[in-house]
Amino acid sequence: MLRRCISAEWMKLRRSRIVWILIILPVISVWIGCANYYLNQEVLTKEWYSLWSQVGLFYGEFFLPILIAIVCAYMWRLEHLNQNWKMMMTAPISASHHFLAKWIVVSVLLAFVQLLFLGLYLLGGKWAGLASNLPEELAGWLIRGWIAAVTIGTLQLALSMRIRSFAAPVGIGLCAVFVGLGLYVAGLGMYFPHSLLTIGMGVLSQTSLSSGNMLLFAVMNLFYMAVILLVAIYRMCKADVVA
Amino acid sequence: MKPVLSTHQLSKRYGGTYRVKNVNLSVHEGEIYGFLGPNGAGKSTTLKMILGLVRPTEGTVTVFGKDLGRNRRFILSHTGSLIESPSYYGHLTGLENMRIVQMLRDLPNRNVSEALKIVRLEKHQDKKVDQYSLGMKQRLGIAMALVSFPKLLILDEPTNGLDPAGIGEIRELIRSLPERYGMTVLISSHLLSEIEQIATSVGIINEGKMLFQGSLEKLKNQSRPAIRIKTQHNDWAHEVLGQYGYSPQQDGEYLTFESLTDDQVAHINRILVTSQIGVLRIEEQKKRLESIFLDMTGKENSL
Repeated sequence: MLRRCISAEWMKLRRSRIVWILIILPVISVWIGCANYYLNQEVLTKEWYSLWSQVGLFYGEFFLPILIAIVCAYMWRLEHLNQNWKMMMTAPISASHHFLAKWIVVSVLLAFVQLLFLGLYLLGGKWAGLASNLPEELAGWLIRGWIAAVTIGTLQLALSMRIRSFAAPVGIGLCAVFVGLGLYVAGLGMYFPHSLLTIGMGVLSQTSLSSGNMLLFAVMNLFYMAVILLVAIYRMCKADVVA
Repeated sequence: MKPVLSTHQLSKRYGGTYRVKNVNLSVHEGEIYGFLGPNGAGKSTTLKMILGLVRPTEGTVTVFGKDLGRNRRFILSHTGSLIESPSYYGHLTGLENMRIVQMLRDLPNRNVSEALKIVRLEKHQDKKVDQYSLGMKQRLGIAMALVSFPKLLILDEPTNGLDPAGIGEIRELIRSLPERYGMTVLISSHLLSEIEQIATSVGIINEGKMLFQGSLEKLKNQSRPAIRIKTQHNDWAHEVLGQYGYSPQQDGEYLTFESLTDDQVAHINRILVTSQIGVLRIEEQKKRLESIFLDMTGKENSL
C-alpha cells in the first residue's frame, strides 16, 4: 500500500517545475562558493578542504535548508490546492501512508540533491585546478548531511501540512537557519535540526566527530524524525479535513 | 432489510452552534437517495462525516453494517465520492489524475478507461486539467468517484457547473447506476426538481435538522391538498363563511382553503347551499412538490 502511495506521489511530481529548484539552488551555491575560493586563494590554502569550507558554507548553511523548505511546501501545496485533501483522505489508505510516502519521496529527492552537489563540488575543484587528493571525510559529510537534511525535511513537511500558505513555512525555515546558527555558535548544535546539518556536513568545522558525538548525532536525528512523524501523523488522523 | 448506510444521532458542532444536529439517515441497497436542503443546511457536513473527512461531535455512522470509526479503510474501498467541487491536480492530464486514483485504490486499467468513457472524457484525457472547463472538471470528478465501481456512491451536488445538456446526461447516468452496476447512490442537491426525477427516496434537511425522510410519494402525501371553491357570489360566500369561522383566500375566481378535512368540505358546501349561493366548482388542488419543500424549509429563495 505504501508503494502505491509512493508511485502516486511520483506521478504528482510529473511535469512540475520543482526539479529546477533542485538543480538551480545547488548550482548557485557551488558557483558562489567557487568564486569566493578563487578570489581568496592566498588565504584559502588547503585546496579541497578550503573549497569545501566555501562551497559548503553557502550550500549547507543557507541554500540547502531553503531548498528543503520549498520542496516540502510544494509537496503539500499540491494537496492544499483544488480540494485534493479530500481525494487523498477518501482513498482507502491509512493517513500515515500518505505522510510517509511524501517523506520518502522528499528523502530520495534530497539524496539526488546531495549527489548533484558532490558532482558540482568536484567540477568546481577541477575548474580551480586542485591537484591534491580528495578529503577522506567527504563521503561522511555527504551522508551525514543527507541524514540531517531529511530531519529538516520532516520538520518542514509537518509545517507545510498544517500551514496552507506556501511562503509561511519557507519563512519559518529561514528563521530556523539563523536559530540553528546561533545554537551552533553557543555549542548547542546537537540539539536543533538546522545546526545538525551544519555539524553533519562539516560546514563550519572540518574536524571529524568523535565516536560519542557521532552517536549523539545519529540519536538526535532519529529522535527528531520519530517525534515529528508521530505528531504529524497523529494530527492527520485526528483533524477534520478542511478543503 | 438492513440499510447500506445509516447514521445515528449524527451531530457536528462548530463553536457553540450545531451545523448538523441528530441526523438519522438511512439509505437502502439499490436506492437513489436524494438528500435535499437549501444551501448551508448541513448537507456537505453530513456527507463529510459519512466519509470520515469530518469527525462527528456526537453520533455514529454505519456503512455496510460496519462502524465507520473502526472500519474506515474497508468502507472507503467500497465507496466512491465527489464532495463539493472536484479534486484534481491541474498540472497533470485527466488521465494522469485518474491514474493517481487508480494507484491509490489498486484498480485495473480497464476501470480507468471505462470510467472516462462513461463521462465522455476519453477524447480530452491527455489535456491538462487546468485547461478543462468547469463542466469537464466536474465530469472528471464523477469519473474519479466511479472508477472503482463502488457499492456506495456519494455525490454532493454533482451537476454543479454543467450545462443543461450535461445535467440531463449526468442525470440519466445516475439513474442507470443501480441497475447497471448494482450501486447505491446518495446524491445531494438544493434543487428539488433535480432530485425529483431520479430519486427513489428523499431526505430533507434544514438548519442541520432532518425534516423528512421517506419515499417521494410519502412526501407528496405529507401535506393535505388545498380545496378551491368557485361560487356565483364569491364575496358574499366569503362573508357568510367567515361567520362560521372559515377564512378562505380570494384567489381570482376561486376561494382557496388550506388543509380541510372531508367533513369540513361537506360543511362548507351545506352552508353555501342553505345561504342560496350557487356552487359552481369544488376542486382539489394537489400541491407541487417544490412548494412542499419550500414550506418545509421555509426558504423562498433557496438559490
